[in-house]
Parts: sequence; structure tokens; C-alpha cells
Amino acid sequence: MTATGIADARDEVVDVCDGRIHLHVKVVGDGPPLVFFHPLPGLEWQPILALAEHHTVYAPEHPGTTPGDPQAIREVHTFWELLLAYEEAFRTLGLERPAVVGMSFGGMIAADLAASFPALPGRLVLLSPIGLWRDDAPIRLAQMITGPPEELPNYLFKHPDSDAARALMALPDDPDRIPTAIAQGAWNVGCTTKFAWPIADHGLARRLHRIAVPTLILWGREDALVPAVYADEFGGRIAGSRVEVLDDCGHAMQADQPERTFKLITEFLR
Amino acid sequence: MKVSLFEQVPYRYLPAGFEDHYSSVVTTPYFDLVEPERMQESLQSGYAEMLHAARAGFDGVCVTEHSQSTYDISPNPNLMAAAVAYGTRAEGLDTAITVLGRSLGKSREPLKVAEEYALLDNISGGRLIAGFPVGLSYDANQNGAIPAIETRERYNEHRDLILKAWAEPEPFAWNGRFEKYGQVNLWPRPIQQPHPPIWIPGSGSPGTLVDILRRDYAFVYLSWSGPKLVGRQVFDRYWEFADKQGRDRNPYRLAFLQVVAVSETDASAEKEYSPHLEAHYRAGLGTVPVSGFAVPGYAEPVGIEHMIRNPGDLGMLAKMRNITYKEIVDTQVAIVGSPATVADQIEEMVRDFRIGNLLVMLQNGSMPRELTEKNISLFAEQVLPRLRPIWDEEGWENHWWPTTSKPGTETETAVATAATGGEA
Repeated sequence: MTATGIADARDEVVDVCDGRIHLHVKVVGDGPPLVFFHPLPGLEWQPILALAEHHTVYAPEHPGTTPGDPQAIREVHTFWELLLAYEEAFRTLGLERPAVVGMSFGGMIAADLAASFPALPGRLVLLSPIGLWRDDAPIRLAQMITGPPEELPNYLFKHPDSDAARALMALPDDPDRIPTAIAQGAWNVGCTTKFAWPIADHGLARRLHRIAVPTLILWGREDALVPAVYADEFGGRIAGSRVEVLDDCGHAMQADQPERTFKLITEFLR
Repeated sequence: MKVSLFEQVPYRYLPAGFEDHYSSVVTTPYFDLVEPERMQESLQSGYAEMLHAARAGFDGVCVTEHSQSTYDISPNPNLMAAAVAYGTRAEGLDTAITVLGRSLGKSREPLKVAEEYALLDNISGGRLIAGFPVGLSYDANQNGAIPAIETRERYNEHRDLILKAWAEPEPFAWNGRFEKYGQVNLWPRPIQQPHPPIWIPGSGSPGTLVDILRRDYAFVYLSWSGPKLVGRQVFDRYWEFADKQGRDRNPYRLAFLQVVAVSETDASAEKEYSPHLEAHYRAGLGTVPVSGFAVPGYAEPVGIEHMIRNPGDLGMLAKMRNITYKEIVDTQVAIVGSPATVADQIEEMVRDFRIGNLLVMLQNGSMPRELTEKNISLFAEQVLPRLRPIWDEEGWENHWWPTTSKPGTETETAVATAATGGEA
């Protein structure tokens, strides 16, 4: 099997919310369907391509983060409307009980979709999701976003100097494209934090018990953004779920521990 | 033209080298840095200086809103404005009160803003100028916890609600996206109907300028970043948009904030003010993190891209943390000198940019009350008389100034005087 690349992906546009939103969904790979919800900064290819080795991956772009359509975010007024938009997109795409994988911010969406619509997913994988809150383990999301840019990698990575971490933080080589990339990156975070600001707590803790599918929860033991104590907060509320905490790993496990992360996911979904 | 004192209320005793260790907003540790007696003195000096300016003959006083800030401890500017409104009324002064203002992108209770402004207009005898700022990003989004991307949408709704609440004769229901009220029926209503003059502060982005001109409000440009560097492009853009919108070039459509420091001579001005000005910019605006002006989502992507590609738009803002006195005066971040020097520079700028409403900031950071009041007195006596007639020969009318402005009646003044125990 040859490795799947970005060039193999197609962009499917799904009209939802009575046509007010044109949701862009990247579709790539071959196999049983899997929906991937990206983290705060926007679409990220590395995990999508890794998952596409064994699945047909459907990766929606959060409204407003699609280049050229920044105002789409205005049409999503509340987090509940965001969940409804995705539920509608699943039906429009004809996805029947796909695996649902969500990373960080996307993990909150995946978990709440599965809690709000228990028959929607077939299996669920949550990668260090936000969405819960403990006063003794504050999630310093607002501090990360408003803090000095040079401190950002310390929130995300156990190994901020690794090639994988640097690749995730990299700006375009072409200097003329850098301002556009910075502006797009900032806007993406504005679009996602709309539903996570300043505290990403929409009452998910009171709904998690409704999740009715096999669930894998992965966490980095040294997660500096969402402390690993939240792994058990999720696990304890989702009956029959499996919790794996990875050593030598920060929040962005796809960079700190890519092989173990995707091996665990693949085995769980097999 | 009209000239108002613009007063922020800083803590005046920040330690030397503050800028090397702290940010001036959001995270500054209070108990480590503040001596309670000195905080009281700093705050009370602000009120006293505003009254001093009103007595000295300024046309108005102007206050702003900032929470969790060292450089403007003014979580609700209407508290200050109320004190000054009543104090000036009691003394028979017709000083305009400009609140610049309650931040409508941040406000959780916009009807409270409508009520407070209406109350101020009554207490002051119709001398309120209502400022409708969006709010700085750090204040709206970090302090106020508003999702950055909603700031502008909330602002728009809140402004519409306030304007309707002021003028609508019958009680009405408001089913907004952010606010829901079953019955809105404000008490009191502003004396100035349908609304007091409205001033909108902004950074000069095209969208804001067009909105201001379309609605016939006044644009306020608060420049701490050096009018020599940024004035030309912002003001030229404003007047070009005015032409396109079919609005006249009435200079009173434009209000401008300038920092000024006056002394007997140029040399004494530098000696007296330079340490305070340097420290103020370094420790104040200089230590607001870049993200404090634009939490992601606050600015549109085209705006951010424009800013990165045109860093000159920021003027001196980007290097405030290390700014020198020479840079401050060279770029006119502050205009400093003898009355003649100051008047010359301001007059040239005012005529060049067509500024009809001037705001002067005469207190900065660590400046003590005595020096501030000297600055106010010298400005009022020797600079203000040269500025006031600037637009007279062109014959414009200032539609953006209170219309019912007049000293209190004898009875009213007597009541106020008896109540305060002061002398009218």
C-alpha cells in the first residue's frame, strides 16, 4: 500500500443549517468511514493522513477556518448550533456510525456529539479533549492564546525542539506568504475559541454518561495545557471506556508520540 | 474649536524598571505593587485635576474605561463623570462631560449603560457627550471574557438597543441575539433628545470610519502612537471617506487626543516632564502585550494581514517599551515645551488635519498633582486662548457638542451649593 498524501484528498462541500453554511470536508483514504475533528488552530494534515492509512477519513473544517470563507463563523451562533451542523453533515454525507476521532478542541466536539446523539458514532476516540473543568486543574487555554508566542510550544509539546513539533509550528518558507498565514492562523483560533472562551465548559460533564459506544481516551502524561487528571474525569463518566496515558508526552501527542498514538487508535478501531 | 481635558487615572507610584518585570494590564499583581494610601491619593488626584481644569476654563472633561489596568483605574468611567458633572454644576460651570466611554463590546448590561448615560445627562443639565467605544481587546476579551469574535457583533446590538431605549416613547420588547428584555422603558431619558452627541473612538479602520460618517457621529482618534507617524494616513482617509459619503468637511466631525506638557520655557518643560513621560509610556502602553490589542478573532484576517504588511500604521506603539524622550517629542507622541512652542505645534496640526474637537491629556503616569495642575493652568491661560478661535472664520457649527449646555439656574445652583457645602 502506498502512503496517502494531501494530493489524494478531495474537498467535499456540504450545505448545512438551511444552506447558511457551506461546510468544507476533506475526504481522503480508503476503508471504513472515520470523522476527524481538528484542534484549535485548524485543519492538520499529519493525523488525517496517518488515519487515512486504514480509513476513509472525513475531516470537516470548522466554520470560518476555510480560506476564503472567514465569515461562515457568523452563522454559527452557539455551540449547540455547531453540534447540530455536524449532526446534519453526517446525515447528508450518508455516514452510518462512523468512527469519530477528535483532538483537543475537536475532542470536545466529538465527545459532545456522541453524548448528544448517542446513535451517531460507531466508536469514539478522544485525544486530550477540552470540555471539562476542575478548579484544582485549570486549563490555561486563554493564557496560552494571549501569552507570548514564544511560549506556545511549551504548552503543546513535551519536546518542543523535535522535528515534529517544529513542523507543526512552522510558517511558510515564502516570506510573502507569512502575513497571510499568520492572519489565517489567528482567525482560525478566533473561530474555534468562540466556543471555548474563556473556559470550554458547556455542561459536557452532565452529558458524558449518555455516550453509548466503545470509547478510547488518550492523554499525554505531561500535558501542560489540559492536565492528565482529566483523562480519568472523562473515563469515569463514560461507561466501559478505556483510558491510556502516554509517558514522555505532552498535549500534542501526534507530535510527541506519533507512533504509539496512531498504533493505539488503529488497534482500537480495528 | 472646543478643547477638553482628557484624564486617565493611573497608579502614580509604580516602581522604577516596572516595564522589565510586569505587564501593565490583566496580570499585574496588586498587593505586591500598591501602597493603599498612595492608591487613594492617585485616584483622588484624578478627580481634583478634572475639577481644576473645569474651573480653569476647559470646554469639557473626558474620561475612559479600563478594567484590570495600572494606567487607567477606571472600571466604570460614569462614576467619575457623575462626580465631575455634579461638582461643575454646583459651581455654575457649563463644562461638557465626555464619557469615552462604557465599552459596548464588553458590556454585559447594555441597558445599564443607557440608564447611566441618561442619568449623567440629567445631572449635568444636558452636558453629556456619549462615547460608544468597542473596547480594547484585552479589556473586552481577557478582562471581560467576551469571545473575541463576538466583540463587534455585541457592540452593534448594544448600540442599537441603547439608542432605541433613549428615544422610544412606548415600552418595547427587545429580542436580540445577545440581549433579551420583555419590557424596556428607561427612567430617566436623556435631556438631549433623541440622544446626546455621539463620539466613536477607533483606530481608523475603514469599516469604522464609514460607519461613523454614515450615522453622522464624530470620530475620535486617540493617538498615543505619534501623530507625526500615523496622523496623515488616518485623517486623510477620514476626510476622503467623508467626501465619498457626501458629508461636509466640518472639522467638528473629528476629535483628536494629544498628550501635552507645558512649562514656562522649553528647557524647564523637558526638565520637569521628561522622566514622567518616558516612564509612563514604557510602563503603560509599552507593557501591554501585542495580543492585548488583538486577541485572535478580535480583528478580521484582512486587518491582521494589513497590519503585518504595514507596521508603520502602529507608529511608535511597537517600541513603547524602550521609548526615549527624544522619540516622544520628535514623533509628537507628546507635545512638550513653552506655551508658545506648544501652541504653535498644536495649531499647525489642528489646521492640517482639520480637528475641531481637541482632547488634551495633561497627566501621565507618575506626574504628581501639583505638576499636573500647573500643566492644566498654563495650558488654560496661555495655550487655550490661541486654539479656541481656530475654526471661527470658516463658520462651522459644532453639531457634536451638547446643545443644552448652559450654567445652572440660580435655584439649582443654590440647591447644589447647599448640598455640597461649597461656594458657588
